[in-house]
Amino acid sequence: MLDQLLSELRKMRSTRTNLGLLAGMIALIVLTVLLNGFIPKAHELATHDNQHMLLSAGTSAALFAALIGVMAITSEFRHGTIRPTFVVTPHRTRVMAAKVITSLLMGVLFGLAAIGLSLGVGFAILTIRDIPLELTTSHVIWLLVGTPAMTAAWAALGVGLGAIVRNQVFAVIGLIVWAMVVDNLLRGLIPSIGGYTPVGASAALVADPADYVLAATAGAMLLIGYVGACVAGGAFAVARRDVT
Amino acid sequence: MAAAISEREQMLPGSTSALGEGRDAAPCGGDAVVRAEHLSKRFGDVLAVDDLTFSLERGTVTGFLGPNGAGKTTTLRMLLHLVQPTAGRALVFGHRYQDLERPGARVGAVLEAADFHPGRSGRDHLFSLALALGEGRSGSFLERERAASARVDAVLGLVELSGAARRRVGGYSLGMRQRLGLAAALLGDPELLILDEPANGLDPEGVRWLRTFLRRFAAEGKTVLISSHVLAEVAQTVDQVVIINKGRLVTFSPLADLTAQVTGAVRVRAPEAARLHEELGREGIRSTLLDGDELRVDGVPSARVGEIAYHAGLLLHELVPESSSLEDVFLELTAKEA
Repeated sequence: MLDQLLSELRKMRSTRTNLGLLAGMIALIVLTVLLNGFIPKAHELATHDNQHMLLSAGTSAALFAALIGVMAITSEFRHGTIRPTFVVTPHRTRVMAAKVITSLLMGVLFGLAAIGLSLGVGFAILTIRDIPLELTTSHVIWLLVGTPAMTAAWAALGVGLGAIVRNQVFAVIGLIVWAMVVDNLLRGLIPSIGGYTPVGASAALVADPADYVLAATAGAMLLIGYVGACVAGGAFAVARRDVT
Repeated sequence: MAAAISEREQMLPGSTSALGEGRDAAPCGGDAVVRAEHLSKRFGDVLAVDDLTFSLERGTVTGFLGPNGAGKTTTLRMLLHLVQPTAGRALVFGHRYQDLERPGARVGAVLEAADFHPGRSGRDHLFSLALALGEGRSGSFLERERAASARVDAVLGLVELSGAARRRVGGYSLGMRQRLGLAAALLGDPELLILDEPANGLDPEGVRWLRTFLRRFAAEGKTVLISSHVLAEVAQTVDQVVIINKGRLVTFSPLADLTAQVTGAVRVRAPEAARLHEELGREGIRSTLLDGDELRVDGVPSARVGEIAYHAGLLLHELVPESSSLEDVFLELTAKEA
């Protein structure tokens, strides 16, 4: 199993896919923080909710983390490297496990970078504009711990999703459409289930002030459930299907 | 069908030993390196492989032949546990591939011409596979990385790709990709090489390089199974052939038996074809009268036919040598079953 882990780590380090995702994530987060930090008037930004929005921009890293996981498995199917991978390790579950673990690790790294960036730039903007911090210390700690936990979960979920879908384009588009459109619509149109969607459950990890958000533990359990279902479904699909 | 196959197999001279007569079907039974037992695979409505049985002994180089769509690729993938058989068993070293301990260290495979990520360097491609293989089994992370790195450099040298190793595969030529694929297959220092259409798209130099390489590999007592839809591609490399068509076994025989079926013929057009036919018969040469003034003469060079016609004072209008090749024999065999 350690062999497969080292192998997957080497794969992740040896293409520019994850560097590209990291660059995209940094650009998006910096842009979001700048817009949220400079567009509102000073008194608007002095509220708890708007400061949460400003400083939690790092949570958008979850989508990029999910893409790490999706790419880790779908690029093997796309480029055919899945064949040598499975010839060397015919125990496909072991390969899947190694991909989940390495994606979790990358997810944590992405999450730490993202929340560090959004907190850093966000604090700088508040300081520059001389706006007092309305978030409590414990809220900031929630962001610092919850974001990497959330991104790790989404990275693992991505591996499962990619293993089920296999087609890289469909998996990437499906993920983006779900996270940016469908999930938003669900939470907007049916607030009663807003806390139960994958994105809604994730919000519980960072003490999101929205009304529908579940308690942290409940949200975490639900998110783990989503991840577990995706990963189990993916491992099952990969183990059963022929590699042609 | 099974009975029919074994009957045919036993009729083939020299092939019985390779077939493992009377060997029991238990795993570990016999020393066959590759063994297909009543192997079948169905994809939806298509029966891609149909009750295929053959086995290969250590040290042999076997050509796995058949037209495109005959089921060669599916069979090879069943041997490697990439495709699940619908029925029957595919055994390697007496076991299902997935039941072997460290299968990647005993079997090397090249399945497609380009199973690489174009953005990854050739060296990193090999490195990730070497790590998964567990080069330098026990030991710390660093020791494992070091052992894998050394093995990667060794196989890169073996396929003469060291110079391009750190470049991205996207910029490799077809021949370089082919050699990279082979390098990956050799990482575990395997006893069995499985190659699916390795010569597809290779230039003549690449084909020659591969042939030399495989001959050397086999000379070490290792086993090679190489598929192709063109017999000529592998004729100089293999010592026996498994020919399949529409998923079924057509022939399993030493290459020499196929070569023996190669015949040379001469087509003659002469106004007095019937008289030439008699004259040839007098010399003990077999010929067949075709329609009108045509004659087909078997087994002698055209010069000999001309000589006989000259001595008999017969006029010839055409004298065309028609040598059937090994390829004709192959095509005939695969067409018969169609």
